[in-house]
Amino acid sequence: MTSTSLVEPGVGAAVAAPALAARTRGLRKTYGSTVAVDQVDLDVPDGAVLGMLGPNGSGKTTTIRMLLGLVQPTAGEVELLGHPMPSGAQITLPHVGALVEGPGFHPFLSGRENLRRVAAAEPLMATPAIASSVTEALERVGLADAADRRYRGYSLGMKQRLGLAAVLLLPRRLVVLDEPTNGLDPAGTREIRRVIAELHAAGTTVLVSSHLLAEIEATCTHVAVLHKGSVVAQGELDELLEAGAPALLVSTPDVELSLDALRDKRIAARSSEDGLFVELIGTTAPQVVKALVEAGASVHEVRRRRTGLEDLFAQLTEGEPR
Amino acid sequence: MTAAVLDRPALDRPLRAPLSRLLASELRWTLRRPRTVIAIVLLSLVPILIGIGVTIAGRRGGGGGLFATLVGNGFVLPILSLTLLLTMLLPLLGAMSAADALAGEASHGTLRGLLMAPVGRGRLLAVKAFGVATTVFIAVLGIAVVGVITGVVLVGTDGMITLSGNTLSFGDALGRIGLAVLWVTFQVWAVAAIALAVSAFTEHPLVVMAATLAGALVFGVITLIPQLDWMQPYLLTSSWTSVTDVLRDPMPWDGLVNSTLKAACYLAIGLGVAYAKVSSKDG
Repeated sequence: MTSTSLVEPGVGAAVAAPALAARTRGLRKTYGSTVAVDQVDLDVPDGAVLGMLGPNGSGKTTTIRMLLGLVQPTAGEVELLGHPMPSGAQITLPHVGALVEGPGFHPFLSGRENLRRVAAAEPLMATPAIASSVTEALERVGLADAADRRYRGYSLGMKQRLGLAAVLLLPRRLVVLDEPTNGLDPAGTREIRRVIAELHAAGTTVLVSSHLLAEIEATCTHVAVLHKGSVVAQGELDELLEAGAPALLVSTPDVELSLDALRDKRIAARSSEDGLFVELIGTTAPQVVKALVEAGASVHEVRRRRTGLEDLFAQLTEGEPR
Repeated sequence: MTAAVLDRPALDRPLRAPLSRLLASELRWTLRRPRTVIAIVLLSLVPILIGIGVTIAGRRGGGGGLFATLVGNGFVLPILSLTLLLTMLLPLLGAMSAADALAGEASHGTLRGLLMAPVGRGRLLAVKAFGVATTVFIAVLGIAVVGVITGVVLVGTDGMITLSGNTLSFGDALGRIGLAVLWVTFQVWAVAAIALAVSAFTEHPLVVMAATLAGALVFGVITLIPQLDWMQPYLLTSSWTSVTDVLRDPMPWDGLVNSTLKAACYLAIGLGVAYAKVSSKDG
């Protein structure tokens, strides 16, 4: 772990568990005098949905391209599914589905024909299964009706869906989605989330990059934050968000009554916008709730205060100059 | 771990899609592209145009040289058409196919998809070269077939009168035309191989077309400058007139063999450079 990491030692240990779908060490890529990526130590735990977060130009896509062996790193090492890249590409990539830098298809072919062409190049695809796999993937992304129209006439969202369909042609061990919600309407965004959830449930590791925080917060189990070509934080989403002091937000109309009851139990609390803010120091959430209920306060909602990914992100990427 | 996880294919050895499937997919893609089809059709119409034009001119008693031998000699038509098209339009077709093969795929972002499938880089180039080579062959064959048919329709099947004055049988004439088809195809492959090398370096198909056209122009200009005569043996284009040797009897092989060897050198250099670039190219 580098000194810039916010991750607590405990989290770091959990991340360093042996089962990693992808791992980079000291990864560096320069184009001429421009440093695109520097000292990236990224861990993608097996079975996780890892959100790669960073402002535009923070090195997300470059890192992904190096993970997939598309670009030779200037320095450092990449391991994908336990094999070094890019030398292990022929072993690992058949098990990896990826949508990188937007969907790439031929405008004069229909969506279906484009997918057939992609399927023909997939080593794990059995030739007799091509037609049915293509149809299935098109249905899964909601393109069944537009399947035989030329790609030229597709809307941005439909193009993105077709890119996703190419990833879903086969069951994968790892799926890499680079900005998958670009150009999608809210319904399309929800469908991407659903697909990611399905992949996760099937045991597929998912690496999704985005600059949309809500996206990451809604779909990911793990997060890696990139800034200016380096990883500034990574770990489990929940632990990263609770890295600050744990606290409860209690929504209640009986603020005075509640504050008195908690003070009696020596629990630090103060009133907030729609109720109470309770610090979980020397106490636990059930104890707090018990105290409130016993005092007769009507509790509408109790939830853990989370730093919020937005705050965390702002803190990491807009802080003092590095 | 769930059953779905256990069902996963093993992750222990390199996997490749069957080569025949890749080649079939490449052909499907190449031959479905409207501009490929249009180019092949238009090129195939050239013999009809020449045939009708010469026939009309012949009735008026005009024309000379190769065109004159065409009058009353239908089998010369395919050879004449190939000779004319080889000087400019067939190399253009080769360059266009080569431009689409790598630069075009790169510009659509589809080359990355193939690399991620993954199709190995050496295989990728082989598949691409196969697609370009087949397109060129189909075009040359189409021109020859339409040329023969047009010739037969306009003149009849009396056989081929050679430039040496004697007559070849129908079968011999077809053999000579077949030889011309193979020779012309190989010459265009040489151009296309160079274009493929350029194509590997760029993602703008236009650059490939411009480079090939520029190359053809430079070769043409060099041919016109007497002080640069010494370069002639190295220029691919300088031996392109030898295809008319198939119209002589007995047939002189020197020109055809030499030009084929020269084309083989261009082919090897083009594919070699293309391989060097494709194998190190960023996806």
